[in-house]
Formats: sequence, C-alpha cells, structure tokens
Amino acid sequence: MTTASETSQRKAQGTTPVVSYSGVIKRFGAVTVLTGVSMEVRKGEVVCLIGPSGSGKSTLLRCTNGLERIDGGEILLDGQLLPSDGKGLRLMRRRMGMVFQNFELFPHKTALENVVVGPVTVLGISRDEAVERATALLAKVGLSDRAGNYPSQLSGGQQQRVAIARALAMEPEVMLFDEPTSALDPETVGEVLAVMKRLAEEGMTMLVVTHEMTFARRVSDWVVVMDKGAIIEQGPPQQIYDAPQVARTKEFLSHLGWAG
Amino acid sequence: MTFDWLVVWNNIGALLDGVKVTIFLAVATMAIAVPGGILLAVMRMSGIRVVSAIATAFTELFRNVPLILVIYMAYYVLPVMSGLSASPLVTGLIALSLNVSAYNGETFRAGIASIRKGQSEAAYALGMSPWQAFRIVVLPQAIKRVLPVLASTWISLFKDTSLVSVISVGELSYAATRVRAQTFRVLEVLTAMAAIYWVLGYPQAKLVDWINHRWGRAE
Amino acid sequence: MEFDWSPVLDNASFLLGGLELTLALSLCSVVMSLLVGTAIGLLRHYGPRPLQLAIAFYVDSMRAIPVLVVLVWTYFALPILTGAVLPPFWAALVALTVHIAAYVAEIVRAGVSSIRKGQLWAASALGMSLWQALRTVILPQAVVRMLPAFGSVISIAIKDTAIASVIAVPEYMNRSQTVAGQTFHPIEIFTVAVAVYFLILFPVTRLVDFVYGRLAHLGRS
Repeated sequence: MTTASETSQRKAQGTTPVVSYSGVIKRFGAVTVLTGVSMEVRKGEVVCLIGPSGSGKSTLLRCTNGLERIDGGEILLDGQLLPSDGKGLRLMRRRMGMVFQNFELFPHKTALENVVVGPVTVLGISRDEAVERATALLAKVGLSDRAGNYPSQLSGGQQQRVAIARALAMEPEVMLFDEPTSALDPETVGEVLAVMKRLAEEGMTMLVVTHEMTFARRVSDWVVVMDKGAIIEQGPPQQIYDAPQVARTKEFLSHLGWAG
Repeated sequence: MTFDWLVVWNNIGALLDGVKVTIFLAVATMAIAVPGGILLAVMRMSGIRVVSAIATAFTELFRNVPLILVIYMAYYVLPVMSGLSASPLVTGLIALSLNVSAYNGETFRAGIASIRKGQSEAAYALGMSPWQAFRIVVLPQAIKRVLPVLASTWISLFKDTSLVSVISVGELSYAATRVRAQTFRVLEVLTAMAAIYWVLGYPQAKLVDWINHRWGRAE
Repeated sequence: MEFDWSPVLDNASFLLGGLELTLALSLCSVVMSLLVGTAIGLLRHYGPRPLQLAIAFYVDSMRAIPVLVVLVWTYFALPILTGAVLPPFWAALVALTVHIAAYVAEIVRAGVSSIRKGQLWAASALGMSLWQALRTVILPQAVVRMLPAFGSVISIAIKDTAIASVIAVPEYMNRSQTVAGQTFHPIEIFTVAVAVYFLILFPVTRLVDFVYGRLAHLGRS
C-alpha cells in the first residue's frame, strides 16, 4: 500500500474533483489487483494513467463506471458515492462516457444509429433531436460522410471515432478512455488522438489509460503512474516524463524507449 | 407387375390437402417455438436458480425423448390434465411446439452466449439496463447469428410433422395412408408421398445451404 | 387422478424384451450408418465429379424425406417392387441406415474438408498414398472434430428406432403401445417409456460431450 508521492503542485484547473478514489481495493479471486488507490480527477483536467501491464490501470477505469465492482474503498462522482449496481449506478453511468479498446460499436447498427441509440433509449430524448445531435457529433469527429455505414465497413480508427461520438452523445461530465488506440493500426492512431486532443482543448474532463507517451506528455494536465495495483508516482507531465522522482517510473519509461 | 400411376393423379386433391396441413403445422410450430426458445434461453441465463433449473430440465427432457413418444404422451395426457379434449391437430401442434422449443432454447442459449461480453459492457456504459442491453444490443445480434441453425431446425421440423400422423392428424403422411387404404395401390401412393416430400423439401434444403453460405458467422 | 403402476410391473418382461430390441436396432443402425456413411462421405470428397453429384443428390434427398416415409416405403413398397419381403426388423435396419448414413456422409465430408490441405501435402511429401494419409493424418484429426456430430447421430438413431414401431418392429415403443392398449393405462406406461428413453439418451449425449472435451485439442491443426 504505497502512498502516492505528490511532489509538485497540481495545476489549478479548477479545484472540484469530478471523480475521486479513496483506498480503492479490487480483487479477482486470490489476486489483489488494486491495493488501495487514492487519487482525484479534477474538472477540466486530462489525467493519463500509465504503467506496465497488470498494474491495474484498466481495472481502475472499469471500476469507475461500475463495470467491475470494488471490494473496498470508495469512488465518488461529484461527491456522490458510486453504487455497486442497480438503478443508481445506471443513472451515474449516464454522466460518464466510456471508450473501449475494442471500440465495441454495435455491429447491427449504422454509425449514426450507434450514436443515436444512447440518447433515445436511455435519456428518453426524441428521435429527431437525437439524430440532430448525432449528426453534429459525427461531423465533429470528422465522419459525416460515414453516418450510414455499418461498423464492418469502417476502419479501426473510424470505428473508434464513432465510439467517441457515441459516448459524447450522452453529454457526460467525464470521459473514460481504456487504451483507446492500442487496437489500432499505426496509421489510424493519429486521427483518434487528434479527436481526443480537441476534446481536451474544449475543456472535457478526461481519464485516459494509454501507452501513447507522446500524447500523454503533450495533452495531459496530470499523469498517474501505477504499478502492481498501486500508484507509485503522480504529477504534471513535465515531472513524470522529464524528471521522474521514483526509480520504478524511470525504469518503466526507459523500457518504452522514452528518451524524454 | 403393373403399376397404376393414374391413381395418384385421381387422389391428388386429398394428398394436397395433407400438404396444406403439413405446412400449417410447420409454420404454426415455429411461430410458437421461436419465442418459446428465446424464453427458455433467457430463463436459463436467469440468476434465479429455480428458474434456470426448470428451463434446463425442460430442454434436456424434450431433447432426450423421441418425438413420437411425446406425441403419444400429449395425446393421452392432455385430456386428463386439462379436462378438455383437444383435437388431434392441436395435440400434435402442442407436442411439436414443446419439442422444437427445447431445441431452439439450446440454439438461442448458445447464440446469446457467443456475443462478446464487450457488447453488453458498451451498452451498460451508456447507462442501459440489463433488459435494454439484451433487447437492443445482444438479442438482435444473436438472432442473426443463429439464423442458419434455425433454418436447419425448420427442415427437421418439416419432416417431423409426418409423425403426428400416428394420432390421426390429417397431414400428408396420414392423407397418403388413407388413399392407400382406399385404393390398395401401395407402391404408387407411397412413392408419390415420398416424391411430394422431396419436391417440398429439396428446395428448402438448398435454400438452407444458401443461407449458411451467406450468413455463416458474420462477426 | 389416480395412477396404477401395476400394469407396468405385470408386463415388465414383455417391455424389457422390447427394450432389448430397441438397443439392438439402435446399435446395428448406428454401426451400419457409420460404416456406410463414412464410405459415402469420403467418396464424395475424394471421388470423381459424377459420383460427387450422385452422392449430393442422395444426401440432399434424405434431408427432404422424413424417416417415417423411408421406413414405411421400405417395409410396404419395396417388397412390391423387388419381390423380396423384409421382416420388420431388417426393413427398419435398412431404412434407418439409408436415412442416417446420408447424415453421417455429410458430417464426414465436412470434417475431412475442414482439415487444411497442407496436412495432405505434408503427408504426400513424405511419400504416403492417399489411403495412408487418410488413415494416419487426416482421419484421426477429422474424427475428433466430428465427435459431437457423431454423438448426435447416435442420439438420433436411438430416437428413430421408436418410429420403427409404426412398421410393427416389436421394440420398446411398439410394446409400450401394445400394453397400453391392453391395460387401458396409457399414461403410466408411456411415462415409464419417457423415463426409459431419457435414461438411455441423456448419458449418451453427456458422454460424447465429455469425450470431446478431453480430446478436442487433438483435432486442432
């Protein structure tokens, strides 16, 4: 149970924590994957979660919207406790958007329909309004001309951008990204990161699990480094990437070939 | 050995009436057994142990007992159980529906289970309830995926309708039996009956092959 | 609603005789269908085109014609055509074999064609004849893949023997009907029949699932 080493002042991007974790514990059978994680994601911030495989970063993300149930500690959204299941959890999920590594678009629906289904089914918005919203969002991610295509007709990068639009259609307070570019061909990674960068510039609160260090260095406001289920270091990108304080962080970054 | 094939032609009306009943039975059974199968699959996935146990027991029972026995059982048990006497047609329909529902239950269970967990998760992440996620995301995909298997089940069902002839339901086999009894032209009538089944069934089998070719595992 | 199970007990040995015949007919038709069907399936995959077409016609025809029709035709019509009268058991065996072998042929053809061509090339490169390649490389892998389907063949064969009751084969279903007719207790008789068939069929499918689970890795290339 290592406490985070917060060695630099957090950039004041607004002091309201949108998501806060205290002492979050998660076990899978006999293995403890999260050993007591405490951190905050503040309003308007882009927080990147990095670390070796198996460090628990994806698990932490999935606990955030209740796809995994935590075994100890608390997760708060806007100061409200995240319920473990039921209607309360569903209501909170509407306020968080999630983008999956495997996109998980609904293959039996067109791109437009994928973006429309959330607002219509969950938020009860009229279909016309939802279609208007979806059209605008597809334009925003640069895919207006693909609205009528099915996921099987889209490249990975295009599918992921539709997935981002689908999550944004719910008008969430925070966007969760689970290794959004790990399953993409190198050529299409850029187009997805560009969309994410724009979102960040527009002030969206984002929690991103990623291996894209250049992206994290340039776009994030705060970086959290995890290893073996605990946070070993967190700070602004300049600290983590240029002057890491913890040896394990240095090791991890050098393994990735990060020249700094 | 002389064969009198004209006999077949003279009685073709009776045989075709039998065909109508055959088709009716097949269509009506599927109309009941597809929702029945989905219901059974949903019951088997239920967290409530009693519910899933009942569905499993039902499925295993009707998959492991010969259909002809189910038909006889229905014939003798239904009047006693319900107090009313259902016509042989309805009795046969019930027996067929129970049988095919069990097979469809297994088909849908496997089909639903084959949809990636990530699809449900994406639906939940949008705030959908489990029922919404099932109805809007999982079930449509599962139905498409099991279409080839359902087509094969249809082919089997079409043939199995012949078994209700044992309780005097007037489908094609029974009609042929009556024509045989009246005309004594056994070989001609039986061959005609086989030929009619062939004419009905062969194109259907080819259609199923085409469906399998077109839609075998899209994702 | 009262049940009187004594008719079952009173006629137990009669019914058991029927059960023996059910098992005998099942075993014989399974063995025959597997032998004949495998031969036909292999012929279809490796044989000359006209033969392939003829076999395809046969297989697809059996998909269209109910087993009841094949049974009845074999027992009543075939004697008229050929002059040879087949006793019920043998008529049933012939009919069931003809019907089920088509299904087996299709399973074998699909199983064999699912083995990557490279396996056959590798065997040929070692100098094996087609038969040697089949025996040592192709069929062992294919058989494992076909096991679940073979399991359902056994299940179908056993269930189809009950239909043979219609052509007076004195197997279990037929004898159950006789006893039911004589004692006027059809529900009790047929309930026992349900239990008997279930107890035979359920372990068969479970056993096949189990064996397949153990051997599946051998069939993956």
